[in-house]
Amino acid sequence: MNFFERITGSDMTKEMKAFEERAKLLPAEYQAAWKEIINNLWIHGDFTGRNLMPFIESSLELLEVTAADGQSIEEVLGDDIKGFCSALVGDEGAKTYRDKWRDQLNNNVARKLGGLK
Amino acid sequence: MSIKKIIEGKKEWRAHVARVKALPQDYQIVYKEMQKYLFKVGPVELGEGIGLLSEILSFLEEGAAAGKDVLEVTGTDVAAFCDALIEDSKTYLDLYQESVNQKVSKDKKE
Amino acid sequence: MGNFREMMKGVLEGCVLEIISRGETYGYEITQKLRELGFNDVVEGTVYTITMRLEKNNLVNIEKKPSTIGPPRKFYTLNAAGEEHLKIFWQKWEVVSSKLNKLKEN
Repeated sequence: MNFFERITGSDMTKEMKAFEERAKLLPAEYQAAWKEIINNLWIHGDFTGRNLMPFIESSLELLEVTAADGQSIEEVLGDDIKGFCSALVGDEGAKTYRDKWRDQLNNNVARKLGGLK
Repeated sequence: MSIKKIIEGKKEWRAHVARVKALPQDYQIVYKEMQKYLFKVGPVELGEGIGLLSEILSFLEEGAAAGKDVLEVTGTDVAAFCDALIEDSKTYLDLYQESVNQKVSKDKKE
Repeated sequence: MGNFREMMKGVLEGCVLEIISRGETYGYEITQKLRELGFNDVVEGTVYTITMRLEKNNLVNIEKKPSTIGPPRKFYTLNAAGEEHLKIFWQKWEVVSSKLNKLKEN
């Protein structure tokens, strides 16, 4: 049984389908990341799927916006997609991840602003 | 090509991106990093349209127009600035955990 | 330092409310006043997060006015709820500072 079968309710399947359509437009490396995110969220999920939708949507938006910007996927998610998903759904270590994102934000800003000079 | 279309096809978003591009380089860098961080943390306002991002942008535009360095207006700890912006907001994670807790307490009763 | 930041948050909010209560003002002006007071670490971003919170909690009235440079600027005045909030802030402050002073003197 895969993730899509697990999520019940036809409106939700429709929502998921729409997400999939949008994901198809992503560059290849982003699509790979997207699939990994979905699979990882599924592993983490003992949920019905409905409360998972916001995570899926915000992940997709993150990918869309950064892809349009031409950033590399590593720069967006780091090399640990599994960790990213754990952090999203608040598994153990989620707090550490938020700290990591904070550091990434400040480090990126420092590095990129430094590059301007 | 098509990814651009889907995002920028939305009129509102296109206007938003144009505003970002009009910012000085250093402001653009900080804005984009902030945006990325916010998408990860997932305050619920993000799902309600571009209000929050647009507000942040207005704030940055004001600083840029005054000719200040970006870190002068956000402070050097940009992450702390972001956290303060969404301090009172629920995140998707909060909502998710609430729904799980509700389910647990419901199951216990049954 | 984390604790210091927590402590300062409430204090700064009180300061911003007080500054707004003296008459209509905007973000940059509030920042300047705080820095003149000696809060050197305060940047416009700090003030912005506070005014945003005040706005969200409906403690201020906002008027957008065109600026000579850049986008329209938000001007703040306190509304009745804001005045009340400020009054309570000073009462709390009185309690805390009087107790602390007592402790220090004994």
